[in-house]
Amino acid sequence: MDSDPLFTGDSCAAQRSAMQAGPSCDTRARLCQFKNKGKDANELRRRRAEVNVELRKAKKDEQIQKKRNVVSQHNEQLPQWTVDEILEGVNSQSLVHQLQATQAARKLLSREIHPPIDSIISAGLIPKFVWFLILSECPPIQFEAAWALTNIASGKSEQTRAVVEAGAVSAFINLVSSPHPHISEQAIWALGNIAGDGPDFRDMVLKHGGLKPLVTLLDVPDLCVYPSDYLRNLTWTISNLCRNKNPAPPLKAVEQMLPALSRLLHHSDIPVLADTCWALSYLTDGSNERIEVVVQAGLVPLLVRLLSCGEIPIVTPALRSLGNIVTGTDEQTQCVLNAGALAMFPQLLRHTRPNLQKEAAWTVSNITAGKESQIQEVIDAGLIPILVEILRHGDYKTQKEALWAVTNYTSGGNIEQLAYLVHCEVLPSLFRLLSAKDSKIILIILDAIVNILQMAEKTGEIDKLSLTFEEYGGIEKIEGLQSHENEAVYKAALNIIDRFFSLDNEDDESVTSEATADGYAFQAPQNKSTFQF
Amino acid sequence: MFITDIRKEFYEVVANQRVALLVAADIDALCACKILQALFHCDQVQYTLVPVTGWQDLGTAFLEHKEQFRYFVLINCGANVDLLEMLQPDDDTIFFICDTHRPVDVVNVYNDSQVKLLIKQDDDLGVPSYDDIFRDEDEEEEGDDSGNDSDDGSEPSGKRRRYDEGALERRIERQRAKREWEARRREILFDYEQYEYHGTSASLMIFELAWVLTKDTKDMLWWSVIGLTDQWVHDKITHMKYITDVATLQRHVSRHNHRNEDEENSLSIDCMRISFEYDLRLTLYQHWSLYESICNSCYTTCNFKLWTLNGQKKLQEFLADMGLPLKQVRQKFHSMDMSIKENLKDIIEESSNKYGMKDIRIQTFGVHFGFKNRFLASDMVHATTALLESTEKDENDGDNFIKALDSLSRSNLERLHSGIDQAKKKLIAIQQTVASCICTNLILSQGPFLYCYLTEGTPDIKLFSKPLALTLLCKYLLKAFVLSTRNKRCKLLPLIMAAPRDTEKGTVIVVGIPPESETSDKKNFFGRAFEKAAESTSSRTLHDHFDTSIIELKMEDRSKFLDALITLLS
Repeated sequence: MDSDPLFTGDSCAAQRSAMQAGPSCDTRARLCQFKNKGKDANELRRRRAEVNVELRKAKKDEQIQKKRNVVSQHNEQLPQWTVDEILEGVNSQSLVHQLQATQAARKLLSREIHPPIDSIISAGLIPKFVWFLILSECPPIQFEAAWALTNIASGKSEQTRAVVEAGAVSAFINLVSSPHPHISEQAIWALGNIAGDGPDFRDMVLKHGGLKPLVTLLDVPDLCVYPSDYLRNLTWTISNLCRNKNPAPPLKAVEQMLPALSRLLHHSDIPVLADTCWALSYLTDGSNERIEVVVQAGLVPLLVRLLSCGEIPIVTPALRSLGNIVTGTDEQTQCVLNAGALAMFPQLLRHTRPNLQKEAAWTVSNITAGKESQIQEVIDAGLIPILVEILRHGDYKTQKEALWAVTNYTSGGNIEQLAYLVHCEVLPSLFRLLSAKDSKIILIILDAIVNILQMAEKTGEIDKLSLTFEEYGGIEKIEGLQSHENEAVYKAALNIIDRFFSLDNEDDESVTSEATADGYAFQAPQNKSTFQF
Repeated sequence: MFITDIRKEFYEVVANQRVALLVAADIDALCACKILQALFHCDQVQYTLVPVTGWQDLGTAFLEHKEQFRYFVLINCGANVDLLEMLQPDDDTIFFICDTHRPVDVVNVYNDSQVKLLIKQDDDLGVPSYDDIFRDEDEEEEGDDSGNDSDDGSEPSGKRRRYDEGALERRIERQRAKREWEARRREILFDYEQYEYHGTSASLMIFELAWVLTKDTKDMLWWSVIGLTDQWVHDKITHMKYITDVATLQRHVSRHNHRNEDEENSLSIDCMRISFEYDLRLTLYQHWSLYESICNSCYTTCNFKLWTLNGQKKLQEFLADMGLPLKQVRQKFHSMDMSIKENLKDIIEESSNKYGMKDIRIQTFGVHFGFKNRFLASDMVHATTALLESTEKDENDGDNFIKALDSLSRSNLERLHSGIDQAKKKLIAIQQTVASCICTNLILSQGPFLYCYLTEGTPDIKLFSKPLALTLLCKYLLKAFVLSTRNKRCKLLPLIMAAPRDTEKGTVIVVGIPPESETSDKKNFFGRAFEKAAESTSSRTLHDHFDTSIIELKMEDRSKFLDALITLLS
């Protein structure tokens, strides 16, 4: 049974609090809350990112579609068959005619502009094509039919469904082992399209035993026996078998796949490596149990090595996979650290692509949510000044992730580590970001500020820190937030002023004791004036 | 787009609107403006008249008026640039462009909504066809996305279609075709935009509008005559074009004369009578002495080579041949004996033929205002031009524009006469400058073109800081040079002249004109050449004039600019 993410989160939090020693109960609660919530938040964030990608893709497709509408269907060199002619040919008794008709259908479906997928489907041609798939005495018709069906399955979900419902899955699975490489390749491609439709068809392919012949193909001494396109198609199809959640692919299948993926990860072709990394990013995007399977397969060092390969198509999914892994347990996170991943992060955090910067910062935020020793590794890798730099003038999305990294750091770090953070001049940047529109961001910042102030309080350095706060206009900013429209923000701001910047502690208590919303509004200005004088 | 029905698509559209009338500083534009103003008065159309001397002026005028006006009428400016690109107007602003400048910018031609061209399509336009120069963007990028590997690090697609074997080749083929198309487009546009020339005069266009509206008057017809004559005097159109348009106007003239025969045959003090004439090419002779006119007319000075002693001698012989007493020849024309004046044209023509001046007479028009005042169309052009570019007082371009415009009205003869006086001075200055340039060999052959630079100390230099005056000087000088030089190659070269424009700013005005020949098509390639030369040397130039072959240039950049031009045109 699939693990419940909420459950694992809880157990992790329990683990965390057991290990936690030192920090006040408050901090620990907050920390637990983070590990718990933070993970959800990360998942939420990740999901949102995916939706974005999807939308962008949909839009692009739409644009292409729109473009296609404009273009007339010119310069197709051969006279095209009509669907009726194809139907007639396919239904004829002569294999030659059937082949010609199938080929004609394939050509129609392969043209760039308006492939007539729906008319082919409604003509009832699919069952015929599926039938041709098993005509092993006539490889050409197998090939043409496989290609035609591949293209039908490449369409919308209903179109893919039409192919699946005609029983094409097992036929294709059989063809994977065809002695003719081009037929095998076409069958693999078709299975990729089917599995890529979503979890249902993916699991259907798996249930029909689709995985076995695919991974068996990789069981050769040297992958170079395959033409590069063949191997790329194979990798892509395997990655589609890892893809999609709700539910994620069965663990048993994943375990079966991992040796193959490991094999592919040793290959040198860029598209193959990229798709393999994407496959791993899908597998690691889930519960700790699923992350564990990948870690146990020993793939982390390989992923870390690929981080530095400089090829964006590879670095992007490799980073995504590692980022997913560090959302897991401390041990899983440690495994990434032990592989030396952090060495690549100064570069990644300053990457020319904002998207990579953002993902790197997100990864760091999950590492700083870990143990003190892990925070120390982040410090030792020299990442803190870079994070501060991002906070100062980074891309907005990256800034947000960097903020999470800082806030997590402040809640899990020890006194020296927090002192170092302040030393790196994180405060002015935090204050500046308090002007952000997004109240969620403000809350994260206020959290970090509270954590820092608490630490200062403990070491008796609150006065010294107050000076810094005043110098950079921090107090002013926080006071300003007391009139923020968001209730949580204004309460948090008031709390900070009350706890740390109010001269008279008695006043403080009286305020908190009669804490109604109105009471705050009235008394806050008084507080302010006493403070200023 | 070209307007086909000038009444429906132009006049009736603006008739109930407020119109901004932006008029360039040349005589044809002034005349067109006069006709249009008369029409607007007639129909009580509200308009605002704004004179514009160059592109910057045009831009400023547009900015100042775009809030209040939706309709802009541009006369002799605007056709030869992408106006929408330059002015960035709102979507509902509409430009009506009546402009002789060619080639018309292709965007202006093919914009259907905001740019309306009052240009005759039977003019020799040679606009490239739409499909040759525009292509819908959509067509091009199609098929970029093969759905396969992307190198931008985005997630692979969940499904992929397999394309035809030929798809890749077709895509390459399409790209190749696209590149070819673009190369061809560049070539077509290059051919189209390479030469600058002029089309049917704006005043003739607007006169024909008045005629279509059956609101044409003799005054309008006369302005139209002046507009056409301006194109001839300033050498903007071919002889053929001139003769054709003269014939058109002649028909209008006889129609008008016929129509009003009964009333106006009896001359009255305020009557106006336009007549077709086969008159002498002696500038302003009816307002000068015959002698002075001969000495200051381009046609005669060049043919006699009056800057030489031999030429002067020939002139004396010529006068003797005509049998005219010198006293008569040297006194004011209107004081000459009536008996001499009677068949003067024939006498002069006969003697001219002997002296190789076979076409001293030319088809033109004259006008009678009342009993006393008689003007040839070319007299009007010279007088009005002199006023338009007057350097006498420190008056600005706007004042000069208004004065020049006024001088075209019958009621303003005094102003016209002052214009004639200034014109004489200008013509004398031109002839003297031509003579001194030829005699002191100031015209240098630079290889692909002739070059003449008027230095600071040259007499009347201020006069030649104005574009029309310098252009006229240029034309006269080139004619004189071609007739005086023995170098056959040099006879075929175009000429560039430069004169100080603004001594404080340290700028010179540069004018380029095409080679001088009987059959010249008057097409000028200097506009493009100046642009390129300025670009390649990053010379500080100002391409502000509506004629692209007239520019301003920083004095110090003159030599590198010229070097670049030589390289470019060699």
